[in-house]
Amino acid sequence: MIAAPIGSHLLIESRGDVLGIFSPQNGTGPYQGQLFTSLDYLQIDYTANSWLTIVAGKFLTPFGIYNERLTPIWIHNAPLILSIGTQTPGSSLGGMARGAFNVRDNFEINYVAYYSASDRTQYWAAGRTAGGRVGFFIPSRRLEAGFSYQRFLQDQRLNSYGAHFSWQPYSVPLDIKSEYAQSPSGKGYWAEAAYRLSRGRGPDSLVGRLQPVFRMQQFDRSKQIPGDSLPSENTRQADFGFDYFLPRSVRINANYSRQFSSQGNSNIWDIGITYRFMFPAWPGGSK
Amino acid sequence: MKRLTMTLILMAIFAGCIYFVAQCRAQSAQGPGQMLRTDSKQSNVSAKTGGFDEGERLFRSHCGRCHELPDDLSPREARAVVRQMRVRAMLTARDERVILKYLAP
Repeated sequence: MIAAPIGSHLLIESRGDVLGIFSPQNGTGPYQGQLFTSLDYLQIDYTANSWLTIVAGKFLTPFGIYNERLTPIWIHNAPLILSIGTQTPGSSLGGMARGAFNVRDNFEINYVAYYSASDRTQYWAAGRTAGGRVGFFIPSRRLEAGFSYQRFLQDQRLNSYGAHFSWQPYSVPLDIKSEYAQSPSGKGYWAEAAYRLSRGRGPDSLVGRLQPVFRMQQFDRSKQIPGDSLPSENTRQADFGFDYFLPRSVRINANYSRQFSSQGNSNIWDIGITYRFMFPAWPGGSK
Repeated sequence: MKRLTMTLILMAIFAGCIYFVAQCRAQSAQGPGQMLRTDSKQSNVSAKTGGFDEGERLFRSHCGRCHELPDDLSPREARAVVRQMRVRAMLTARDERVILKYLAP
């Protein structure tokens, strides 16, 4: 990930991925690996004023909250309904206007409106779409609710709708997030609750670093649309997991999911470790 | 079973390496970034008494929804991060100013 501020109004930011997949050949044979590279976003942000930022380039599609704010590289597995409104690549190529403003002391509205052109090349892949999102945020409660809309303008004309809810109360270390999304392919939701066990001996204790997570999700298929990256049948899934926050931005997460589908039930195991760090990429002053 | 054991051992070694590198980075960190480490006990006390300032309040209400106070962030790094988060986390210009002042006084 790169972030390069230029002056007081411009920012260039980018994120790329290198993904390696290693699996046994034909299930039992020797392990074989493959490396994939991708560009998640490369965008120029121009902050025009207090409540408006203009973005140009390739950016994460702002539909709901998961794709843009809770990317899978940092938090848990992707939900079943992720590709509703984000389409397969999860990124858009074009322009976006976004910002936030206070309506009252304790009430904020945030908004995004964007247009994306179609591109089929490997690193810039995006669909031709237009859409937006609006969110209503109460800072004193850390409570946000919002709505998303996207019109897919390529090959077929499809509308996708979404709603999101997020609440992190101050009084307890609880984190609740949820999304609902609907498209001609089907509709579904995910709802997640995470509770950090930091109340007894504090967040830096052995137990206080642990955060159990539970997520329930469901997708109901309405129509088969090729390439929509959604489950082909009605699917329900229950996820149980935990995050363990080690010092210095190191985090371990593990997850067990039980998926219930008319095609057959299955177990999904997932374990990961994340370490975040940063360093100046360009020589400069200490200030 | 053998493969699973090997995979678990490799993952444990990998995790240990990452943790070791993280600890080394933390020990070698110097200067203003040190001031930004979270003192959870202090933070809890100030939160209980309501004595935290505007910057901390805004950090907790906006940034604290997704993550804790970052470790070892120099003022220069803080500027780049807060600028980026203004776009990503939908901060107003005032929020950006106050949070930056809190992170890099």
